[in-house]
Amino acid sequence: MLFVDVLAGGVRGGTAIMFGALGETVSERAGVVNLGTEGCMLIGALGGYATAAETGSPWLGLLAGAVVGGLLALVHALLVIWRRADQFATGLTLMFLGLGLTSLYGATYVGKAAPGFAPVNVPLLADIPVIGEVLFRHDPVTYLSFVAAPALWWWLRNTKGGLLLRTAGERADVLHVHGYRPGLIRGRAVVAGGALAGIGGAQLSTAYAHAWFEGMTAGRGFIAVALVIFAAWRPIWVMAGSYLFGAALALAPALQARGYALNQFALDALPFVITLVILAVLGKRTLRAAPEELRRVFESAPSK
Amino acid sequence: MTTTLTPAEPVKVPSRRSADLLDGVRRWAGALVGAVVIFSALLLVKGADPIAALGDMVASIFTSASIEQIAIKATPLILAAMAVVLPARTGLANVGGEGQVIIGAVCAAGVGLAFDSMGPVALVAMLVAGAAGGALWAGIAAAMRLTVGVNEAVTTLLLNYVALDVMLYLIYEPWKDPNGSGQPATRPLAVAARLPLIGTTAVHMGLVIALVAAVLVWLVLRGTAFGFRLGVTGGNPEAARRAGLPVKRLLLTAMLLGGALAGLAGVMQLAGVEFKLRPGLTANIGYIAFLAAWLARHKPLPAVGGAVLLAVISIGGDSLQLDSGLPAATVNVLMGLVLLAVLGWASKGTGKRTDALR
Repeated sequence: MLFVDVLAGGVRGGTAIMFGALGETVSERAGVVNLGTEGCMLIGALGGYATAAETGSPWLGLLAGAVVGGLLALVHALLVIWRRADQFATGLTLMFLGLGLTSLYGATYVGKAAPGFAPVNVPLLADIPVIGEVLFRHDPVTYLSFVAAPALWWWLRNTKGGLLLRTAGERADVLHVHGYRPGLIRGRAVVAGGALAGIGGAQLSTAYAHAWFEGMTAGRGFIAVALVIFAAWRPIWVMAGSYLFGAALALAPALQARGYALNQFALDALPFVITLVILAVLGKRTLRAAPEELRRVFESAPSK
Repeated sequence: MTTTLTPAEPVKVPSRRSADLLDGVRRWAGALVGAVVIFSALLLVKGADPIAALGDMVASIFTSASIEQIAIKATPLILAAMAVVLPARTGLANVGGEGQVIIGAVCAAGVGLAFDSMGPVALVAMLVAGAAGGALWAGIAAAMRLTVGVNEAVTTLLLNYVALDVMLYLIYEPWKDPNGSGQPATRPLAVAARLPLIGTTAVHMGLVIALVAAVLVWLVLRGTAFGFRLGVTGGNPEAARRAGLPVKRLLLTAMLLGGALAGLAGVMQLAGVEFKLRPGLTANIGYIAFLAAWLARHKPLPAVGGAVLLAVISIGGDSLQLDSGLPAATVNVLMGLVLLAVLGWASKGTGKRTDALR
């Protein structure tokens, strides 16, 4: 069934974007935009694949993806928080750096096999018609993502750490008054966000594509950044949005497999066009929900 | 948080200028040395000999053929850097250079392929069409910023990918050269519709166009009421609004002009270098130019210097590939490191620290 294929493909292909977008959510809720998410995902994809190839363990690969993604984001944190560099310029430079680094170190892994995550059917649940096929016949990292988004939502809402992080994004000066260091809180958020994006990248290479090739994230990191905006910085909406994009990505192969002659390039552009259209429709409404400190970055207003 | 999209530099007392300049040179030198040291360390990790690689790279830059190559490479970079500089004056971040360059090249190719039998007339039409195409593409992002308030850095980035797919579609389907072999491309432009060369060099006239454009941007920003208004808008939009400036129209104009300049960069690449539309035509011009503009903190004439510096690095990078056998994109690492070093350590904006951030 086309419908089921596209939905199942949406979950499969949306997972990497979801981790990237959850990472961006963490960072932006603390008041920092990281356009380098694309770079963090890319470097996570290589780090994950290379580690899986060398150690034979995709789980170690996933961990390595998180570490290298977090390290690249650390550069962003240091520059924008400590050196007060521009967030957009630094983020884009990191994307560039990620492209270069993965090209430099990744060449040996192009076309090289590595153990990856295989789909695991969840007992019983996988046999439910439609739902089973859409949700419960995936790789373990995808199951991890089912938990990650609600867990992040809960953490942001109910824990002290979540409150501090949100305050850093809304009213940093309040934290200062109470003796906290907003810079440190933000820095941690940016690094954690990069680590999540790195996990997304590692999922892409070790569970989705089962390969490494140059530039394999192909703009998913930027889609993740845009997605966070129209999801109004809410993890659960981020989850839904990611599946929408996954579905847009899955549409092309699903239709082609059925012999429909569709324009490949129109389908490739589809996720980006959908993002732009949704931003145009929802833009004004969601921007009102933006964390206060973040809005200042977006409106490039001079900071107080 | 600050975004350091600063408008015009504050007026300095002349006596402090030389000290400032010296300070600036020292900071820049420090940043560049730092970037090269980190780059060498990364090459060592890769198992390459950094001294040999960098030595070959420097040696490859100072041949007369390389200098011509650098001039050719710098031409679209200068124009696309101006496409960042102009909107930045109003506080807008145009990260969409890449897409605007592509659409500029696409529009120029459309006109060129139809009328290139008319020679120079077609060339002029291509310049106009390319500029218009780039402006249109930037205009989409500007319109979204002004009507629904979506940040232009995000939309321009997304539009880059859409532009690429538009170009690939045209190359692979309607405009594909049936007589071409190998990689799909359009047919080449007639020789008469290409940019003429300067004297006996291999450098095309686009370099002159780019330099003239840069000087014009500098003059407009420095000496005209329009340039002044752009700066006021970028400095404090609220104050500009209260002073009765048409803020929206200024933002839109800056973005459209920026897009037009990037579109011209696409025409340069098409009519001066490639002569046909093919995948990979733009070679990251838009992104590299964004970095060049940042190197220069969005000042037009220094941005020309930034564009030339990055052109030097990328031509030198060919030697990394040929002499040291490293992947072509390795040079992106060096560019990224240089920019990070400059963003982080050559900036002046760190003197005044907001307590709230500590």
